[in-house]
Amino acid sequence: MTAKRDKYHLLLRWVIQVFFLSLFIYFFIQTRYGIAVISQDFFFRFDPLILIVTSIAYRTIISAALLSVILLIGTLIFGRFFCGFICPLGTTIDVFDSIIRRKKHIRLSFKNGKYLILLFLIISALIGSSFLYLFDPLVIFERTLTLLFYPIATYFIGVFTLGTNAVYIEAMLTLTVFAAIISLGILTPRFWCRNLCPLGGILAVLSKFSLFKFSILKGCTSCGVCADVCPTGAIDIENERIDAAECIDCLRCHYACPQNVVSYRINLTCTPYSITRRQFISAFGAGLVAVPLARSLIHQKLEGRLIRPPGSIPEPDFLNLCIHCGKCMKICPTNGLQPCILEAGIYGLWTPRLVARIGGCEKNCNMCGQVCPTSAIRNLPLEEKTYVRMGTAVIDRSRCIAWEQDKVCLICDEACPYNAISSLSETIRGNTLLRPFVDERICTGCGLCEARCPIEGASAIQIFSINEERKKTGTYITEEKVKLRACEDKPEDIPTGFIVE
Amino acid sequence: MNRITRREFLKLSTGAFVVTLLPKPIFGSELKVSNGPLIGVARGEKSKLVEAAVNAIGGIEKFINKGDRVCIKPNISFAANVDCGATTSPEVVKQVVQLCLDAGASNVIILDHTIQDTTLCIEKSRIEEAIVDDKKVRLLPLTKERQFAEVEVPQGKELNSIKVAKAIQTADKLINLPTAKSHSATGVSLGMKNLMGLIWNRGYLHRVNLHRAIAELATVIKTDLTIVDATRALTSGGPGGPGKTVTLSTVIAGSDIVAVDSYTVGTTQWYNKSFLGTNVKYLVAASDMALGEINTDRMTIKKVEV
Repeated sequence: MTAKRDKYHLLLRWVIQVFFLSLFIYFFIQTRYGIAVISQDFFFRFDPLILIVTSIAYRTIISAALLSVILLIGTLIFGRFFCGFICPLGTTIDVFDSIIRRKKHIRLSFKNGKYLILLFLIISALIGSSFLYLFDPLVIFERTLTLLFYPIATYFIGVFTLGTNAVYIEAMLTLTVFAAIISLGILTPRFWCRNLCPLGGILAVLSKFSLFKFSILKGCTSCGVCADVCPTGAIDIENERIDAAECIDCLRCHYACPQNVVSYRINLTCTPYSITRRQFISAFGAGLVAVPLARSLIHQKLEGRLIRPPGSIPEPDFLNLCIHCGKCMKICPTNGLQPCILEAGIYGLWTPRLVARIGGCEKNCNMCGQVCPTSAIRNLPLEEKTYVRMGTAVIDRSRCIAWEQDKVCLICDEACPYNAISSLSETIRGNTLLRPFVDERICTGCGLCEARCPIEGASAIQIFSINEERKKTGTYITEEKVKLRACEDKPEDIPTGFIVE
Repeated sequence: MNRITRREFLKLSTGAFVVTLLPKPIFGSELKVSNGPLIGVARGEKSKLVEAAVNAIGGIEKFINKGDRVCIKPNISFAANVDCGATTSPEVVKQVVQLCLDAGASNVIILDHTIQDTTLCIEKSRIEEAIVDDKKVRLLPLTKERQFAEVEVPQGKELNSIKVAKAIQTADKLINLPTAKSHSATGVSLGMKNLMGLIWNRGYLHRVNLHRAIAELATVIKTDLTIVDATRALTSGGPGGPGKTVTLSTVIAGSDIVAVDSYTVGTTQWYNKSFLGTNVKYLVAASDMALGEINTDRMTIKKVEV
């Protein structure tokens, strides 16, 4: 075995990793308005963690993620190749691991962590809430791309082009999570993957029984070179054993072995688990109490300003089905879809909400529903989407310059694509002027008026979740709505701009 | 005593007679009319309207020189279907672009600062159909503050200064290409109102006296030619629609922006009522500032059917 060939093969692994990372980023970039979005959720479809946890929490099999069975079968045959070759977060961690300088190999390890987090996720899902978004590596990576890297990228692109800058009200928390995952590499390489990642946990459970495993053959001199190069601490050099649950098939040991006795071959022996009863009970208990605790922290009713994207299913189900990946926020052309911080409670963190002051929901766009990987936002036809009531606009007359200062404003009327705002003549202190009124029967709560209100600060017309419609199934188009919208004789007085004789 | 001879008398009286035979245009009424702005109105077949209307006022060569860099400002501010009438129809924009190119314009920029999302506005207005020549014609969405530069408004009472698109400040010619539509605040939105799509902070105008501010805006943004797309008019529910759309099959052209707007007001009913240009507050304000002719009686209107 020559050194040159070793490098070549290890390089090949890097190439594959970079390929999948690039593919992930490519799909991310392609998640934009107007592009045919067929494959943009490709990676999520192969994520068994979504299949298991979200299906349990939502009490229905998530058919979009059924393809992940392929990954499970693949893992049963080949081991955790996903972690070593495909996972974009794993690749990113690898990149940073190769940059980070560790002073010493710190023997800090908590390999059972990933099983316990997995157990926690499953128990909490059984109780009725999904905490998947905190731990799924694909979700974390997609969300980090959206909330952290996308605004940075658009800033620099915007310097040279006319593209608008993406802005998100929450980036620091995303940065903290991402930075934490990356910098844990200071302790040991692939710290996240070996100790915390619940997706790795699922794959580890299976790869213990995988057909092919890296195995140490006879002739081992226990020199320990393989254990030194192993990024996941899978090699127990004293017992000359490689724990297939930890091994991510990275090939380093194979090429490092001076005796050439580490080999990838069919091997049916299994190493035992080492979860203690105490650990198990802790994770189980955490899963039990997390859900009621999180539910006690919901604030949404306080403000009434939690406006979900059009076609979002009813709230408790929405929270369970939404994986908080941020695709809808990435694709929203007005940038109006923003991450919740605590507006929807603790497990509503990073779920989308319409912040209409930043951007309203365009009438001719249903992109958020198109890209949602789990259909937490239903993929409604464009026509039907325009009938969804997300909320209702409410005019604050004390701040409105048409009401309070007799200005010829009426920009809200101008902005409304549904003619839900009427400008009607109203005399105040002797001044007769058109002033805006909202017809709450027609208003969809799209927020285009709130976005364009010309006063400084908070808009004088704001969307509240009054009349909000959320349907799991069935059409949003009703006869009454169609009739109201078709009505041509909307009350409209002669504009103030005319001198009427 | 100077007596007039018979011969002299005959000479003088013959001369006086000949003078009365001279064609009228040298004197009197026709001369007075040609002081008023010229308006070209074409009705009929959509694909010929622009050329006919522009020819009626002297042809495109009168306005565009060879090598000119021309900016065209259609109204594509709303993501509404073209049929609605909230945006300038792409066929009309295309004809204007073609005319400019025929007149030898070196390049043509179609620009607007859209109200709704730019991507959707471009898609719905089908404005890209007007790009007849990839090299010479380009679409310039005004999306960034850096595309605008502050301009003083010397005649301004409502506006001291305003950020105007740099593109039109560097261009040789500006063709204003509005669609005829109603407007909930100003009554109608035509040529002068369309200029608000060339400034950065359009909301500010609503916070001051809007009618006067629109007139003041026209003092700093000088248009060389205004062509109103009245192939159809959104006569209520404007400016974004939906509302009542009537087919007029008309294009109105002229270099006097106030006159063109004022004439257009009278071509159809708005909000089911008849109005004249003198009923529109911002046109009255513009007329008071001597920006153009508001009275249709004092315009030369050339109507052509195609």
